[in-house]
Amino acid sequence: MDVLALLEFYILYPSFFVMIIFPGLIFALIVLLYTIWFERKIAAKVQMRFGPLYASKRSGGFLQLVADAMKFVFSEIIVPEQVNSTLFALGPVLYLLVSLLPLAAIPLSTIPPTGSVLSMYFHEFYDPNVGTGIMAAVVSNYSLLIVLALEAVTPVFVLFTAWVTNNRFALLGAVREGLLSVSYDVLLIMASLSLAIEFHTLDVAKIVEAPIPGFVANPFAAFLFLVGMLIGTGRFPFDIVEAESELVAGPYTEYSGLLFVLSMGGSYIGTFAYSILFADLFLGGWQPFTGYYGMIFTVFKAILVLMFAVFMRSVYGRYRIDQALRGSWKYLFPLALLSIVIGGVVGIWIR
Amino acid sequence: MTSRPEELLPEGGMGVEVVPVSGELNVGPQHPGAGHMRILVKLNGDIIEDVDLDVGYVHRSVEKLCENRNYIHLIPLVERPAILDSIHMNLGYILAVEKILGVQAPERAQYLRSFSAEVNRIASHLYGLGILTVFLGHSTGFMWGFGDREVWVEILQALTGARVTNSYIIPGGVRRDLGGAIIEMTNKALDYTERKLKDWKSMVLNNPVIRARLENVGVMSRENAVRWGAVGPNLRGSGVYYDVRKMEPYAAYDKLDFEIPVYKEGDGFARTLVRFEEIEQSMKMIRQILKEIPEGPILTDRFLNQIPPTRRKKWLEEQRRVVFPGYYASFRPPKGEATSMVEAGRGELLYYVISDGSAHPYRVRMITPSYRLIYVFKELVKGSRYADLVSIYGSLDYFPPEADR
Repeated sequence: MDVLALLEFYILYPSFFVMIIFPGLIFALIVLLYTIWFERKIAAKVQMRFGPLYASKRSGGFLQLVADAMKFVFSEIIVPEQVNSTLFALGPVLYLLVSLLPLAAIPLSTIPPTGSVLSMYFHEFYDPNVGTGIMAAVVSNYSLLIVLALEAVTPVFVLFTAWVTNNRFALLGAVREGLLSVSYDVLLIMASLSLAIEFHTLDVAKIVEAPIPGFVANPFAAFLFLVGMLIGTGRFPFDIVEAESELVAGPYTEYSGLLFVLSMGGSYIGTFAYSILFADLFLGGWQPFTGYYGMIFTVFKAILVLMFAVFMRSVYGRYRIDQALRGSWKYLFPLALLSIVIGGVVGIWIR
Repeated sequence: MTSRPEELLPEGGMGVEVVPVSGELNVGPQHPGAGHMRILVKLNGDIIEDVDLDVGYVHRSVEKLCENRNYIHLIPLVERPAILDSIHMNLGYILAVEKILGVQAPERAQYLRSFSAEVNRIASHLYGLGILTVFLGHSTGFMWGFGDREVWVEILQALTGARVTNSYIIPGGVRRDLGGAIIEMTNKALDYTERKLKDWKSMVLNNPVIRARLENVGVMSRENAVRWGAVGPNLRGSGVYYDVRKMEPYAAYDKLDFEIPVYKEGDGFARTLVRFEEIEQSMKMIRQILKEIPEGPILTDRFLNQIPPTRRKKWLEEQRRVVFPGYYASFRPPKGEATSMVEAGRGELLYYVISDGSAHPYRVRMITPSYRLIYVFKELVKGSRYADLVSIYGSLDYFPPEADR
């Protein structure tokens, strides 16, 4: 085996490739920049403006966010006097890291036994449940549970960031995040579990490989997951935690420069991770492709979902926290119970 | 230690004890939702127990400055406190000065005053709606408010030569006449805004989130509105039929046909609806003014005769603009005092001018509508949720420089 082949083997090794290159760290940061660009551009379209324009005028300000990112990298990070500076710097970093972690367990595509550049990993990433190789950093029969568990950890780090900054607005934002996380996690878990019941598996890959896509099999669950995702990642109309006119920037009030970008990026990357899971569970994931193309197709669907999530900003305002809580417990929770019943009943016919 | 949870937890381990968490939150003056004001919020959990409003960050002592300047020089000064409502600030002051001088503006000037005032009211209300929606996190309403306001500001610019600080109304008349190009512009703006208001209805007024945030929030009963001294759209949103344009008509309002929208709910949504329908009524009035405006001079004869003939020919007859000679700036009105009231964009605006016979007024007192909202705001937010602070603040359309003067 020569050096190039060895290099190719290690770079394309799914655990590394998925987490670091595509759709992990590097690709996620590009997605982060261009989601924000898209968000600003589509809002500008609705709001009778041009949006970002001056950095590379010909392509509609396509480089604006790159310029912004560079500006943020070099701007001063102000650390308040009365905080523990180590923890202060650690907060956003951990938050971003934890937002990225769920990507590890989400399958992105299948690996065919032969005929693909990925085929050399077929045996190592073989999922006996599905009967084929799975393109995921970690292949597990319980990938759905792992993803949900990892997603559920993120609010802890939001609380952590707010706690170390020692700011009252941040603290209020953290309290709101804590209150909300209880309600959206319930929605997300129940929506996912209703699919798990329906398809008799906790393996995301097997749900994708099922004959019908999730949103046909259980439309209520799809709706609930989408709403739970909007609440959980602070997208409009549930931008309650960061509520600018009320709490300045919520838990991230004290952050500036790169640390602010990291903390803001955390919620976008969280949305991206949820979007990939949504694409897998409800939109048929990589079907009908396999291998490399399937991976691109899954991420493409996820980006569409992500775009929908950020587009909400130009349509809706912001609910009050008690309205969001009442809405999720009074109306969406019974719907979640209904979706579990549907999952159980329809699941009888799905084998 | 005990192993029985009932002894550790209150109410037999089944109840949840709500521990009140109280504290103060210092909102502003550098805060996205505070404007130029510091709001000391005393919170109990999410409920506001009391607020302490620290106003005066944009105080410019306009009233004191008025005592040291000539009457004409005061026009640009008195309109500064509310630059987005400057026609009304200007008009109220001029009405008081005219009462002291004992002059009456000619018919065409009266119509032009109403015209500019209504154009300004539309621009001011759109600004208020924009600020309200961005407080509720709805950035589209914000951009639309400022974007749609632009067409009306452009009309003011064409008419008066300035976008916001117009200084359009002068003692005895107005400064410039309405031409054909401006009429055409206005007709276009009317058609555009009529179309756009439909979008506003579907995007903002009927938006479920906006309605949820405004309905039953900051409810002000009729009695409270009167007791706290609310004015303008906020008073009318609480079911009180009061509008200076109807009660004591000035300019051309006695000849114009319009209605005063009144809602009895008294919540933030009612106040927003009042503003919204006032925009429609203003557009109706502008249509009527364009149709019925009489021909004639735009300045009273008494002042017209003081302009030298060459200047009158060059400016007034060729360009239909009033340009006074320099000595006009230091005119001395007779001794006396006068009060004037106008219905500004945010409500009743009162001027009280005392003249001691010199070239400067002895005293100018202005009671601006936003000034009266401070107390209303303080009383309204008590007992509401913290998130409603901005909702109530926005729905009152409070404009800090106008209150601080």
